[in-house]
Amino acid sequence: MPPKKDFTIQTQELGRTYKTYRKSEGVWKSIKGFWNRQYEDKVALHPTTLQIEGGQIVGLVGANGAGKTTLLKLLSGLIHPTEGDALVLGYHPTSRDPEYLRQMSILLGQKEQLWFDLPPADSYELLARIYGLKPSEAKTRVQELAHWLGCQELLHIQLRRLSLGERMKMELIGALLHKPRVLFLDEPTIGLDIVAQTSIREFLAHYVREERPTVILTSHYMDDISRLADRLLLIQQGKIVYDGTVAAFTAKAESRQTLSLKILSPPDKDVAILPNWVLQAGSLSVKKELQAHQVGEALRVLMSLGSVQDIRIEESEFEDVVRAFMEQDVRLRSTRRPPTV
Amino acid sequence: MFGCARLAVLQQFEYRVNFITDAIIQPTIISLVELTLWLAFFAATAGPTLAGFGRETYLSYALWAAFIARITASWNYEMRMIDDVETGAVNSILTRPISFYEFYLGQFLGYKLLITSVSIFVPGLLCWVMDLPVLFDRLPAALALIFYYLILVHTISVLLASLGFFLNRIQSVTFAKNIVLWMLTGELFPLDLTPEPFRSVLISLPFSSGAFRPVGYLTGRLDFSGILEGFVSVTVGLVVFGSLAAFFWNAGRRRYSGTGA
Repeated sequence: MPPKKDFTIQTQELGRTYKTYRKSEGVWKSIKGFWNRQYEDKVALHPTTLQIEGGQIVGLVGANGAGKTTLLKLLSGLIHPTEGDALVLGYHPTSRDPEYLRQMSILLGQKEQLWFDLPPADSYELLARIYGLKPSEAKTRVQELAHWLGCQELLHIQLRRLSLGERMKMELIGALLHKPRVLFLDEPTIGLDIVAQTSIREFLAHYVREERPTVILTSHYMDDISRLADRLLLIQQGKIVYDGTVAAFTAKAESRQTLSLKILSPPDKDVAILPNWVLQAGSLSVKKELQAHQVGEALRVLMSLGSVQDIRIEESEFEDVVRAFMEQDVRLRSTRRPPTV
Repeated sequence: MFGCARLAVLQQFEYRVNFITDAIIQPTIISLVELTLWLAFFAATAGPTLAGFGRETYLSYALWAAFIARITASWNYEMRMIDDVETGAVNSILTRPISFYEFYLGQFLGYKLLITSVSIFVPGLLCWVMDLPVLFDRLPAALALIFYYLILVHTISVLLASLGFFLNRIQSVTFAKNIVLWMLTGELFPLDLTPEPFRSVLISLPFSSGAFRPVGYLTGRLDFSGILEGFVSVTVGLVVFGSLAAFFWNAGRRRYSGTGA
């Protein structure tokens, strides 16, 4: 694939299939598996073609096992593709060219990458050597990032003594120390409390605005994506099913609204509001998430019941839209036959 | 690599009790056990010499062999390297401009240098107190061979860690390997006590540089040519095990799934 200057990241039919050992339960089958193991192929990422421009922040969203992390691992050179190819900054990631590795960083939110026994300051000193940074330059950079994250006082405390949120801040400093041009962030806010999530989200927003790296961000928290990403990639079962802006996705996906109201004179028998919604006798309040086109009909029936008060119709948030999208994916998967060996 | 060695030293100083046990208490216990064993052996035998060497020579050999074999064995780092590959902790190295080999070699050598510089006083002091024969002026050449041999030890560890890409839970291989090396290095007994042709074969293997050659040189069993031959055989070992390690590492990397991330 010839390199193109226009794109920082480009993939051509990039895919990865894993071979997994299928372990049957029980002692006898374990013994049998000693000499006769059954393997099956699992497609983690179907052939994917992508182009990402420099400075773009791409949110990669999908259910667990959808292929998000596999795509990041392929682009960072951590794993080899079973098909296709990728170019990042003009390098083939799997070649592990030191020049590429000096311009790239990957933060795996569920894996610590600093040294657990030591204060982060010691880990940064080693990282500075690995990336060929001058000690003074590295120290200034650490102080700058720690200032942005508000964690200067933690630099000399052993990593093992820090809270999860504090550790993530330290991991971020380690990942950004060498000013990477391309940044892969895999669940940077996973498991953090709301305060730590907000703090890291604000830091990332500030960082990408200031330094303009090309970023691919995966997160289970849609706030991360909706606030940071210019572009959204939705991935399902190893396939990119949506590629566009967050706003366009919300508009394209069938809009959902939450209808809530209080009923002054409750019905004395069950009432069918919609084909799939029955209001039970005696109900005094109603709260239901509906597809946008159903709201009018539901309101008409509810109003005909008698006097109502406090009607609210709320637009579903981005997170709800994505959730609905992913639930649809799960329903689709459950109707398919399991793989055979 | 210096930065990695520094990291290992910092980690050692972080846990003081562990470090003191590793650098002082363990070698002291091992030295006393070896002394007791060989004293018992000579008390039970009729003659004052064995294969032309006297009791003091063997006591000195036992002390230095125990010390050097501890230096040239890899337990913790090999286990950690295998574990890194199996659990995916290796990801943090693979995505940085440093090789797994270099990253751990730096740490391994840094750790061994620190432990050696502290624990060398244990056999040295015991030999001085018991007036055992040691040619201290030969120590620099012996140590040079030991640290060259450590590169081979590390290369074998990388080979085993590479197998972690293909197999799970292979830490038992480290145990099996180190038990075999217990004999092949000459820690258990001087290799020149074995009958021919085993004697020539065992001594010509690179593993003899893990104890027999440097200890033999220090205690007068071997001359400088024994050290030079050791450098040659270790170099051959580096080529053989290095090629195997590179082959399995590259093959393993192609099938690696980036576990746990």
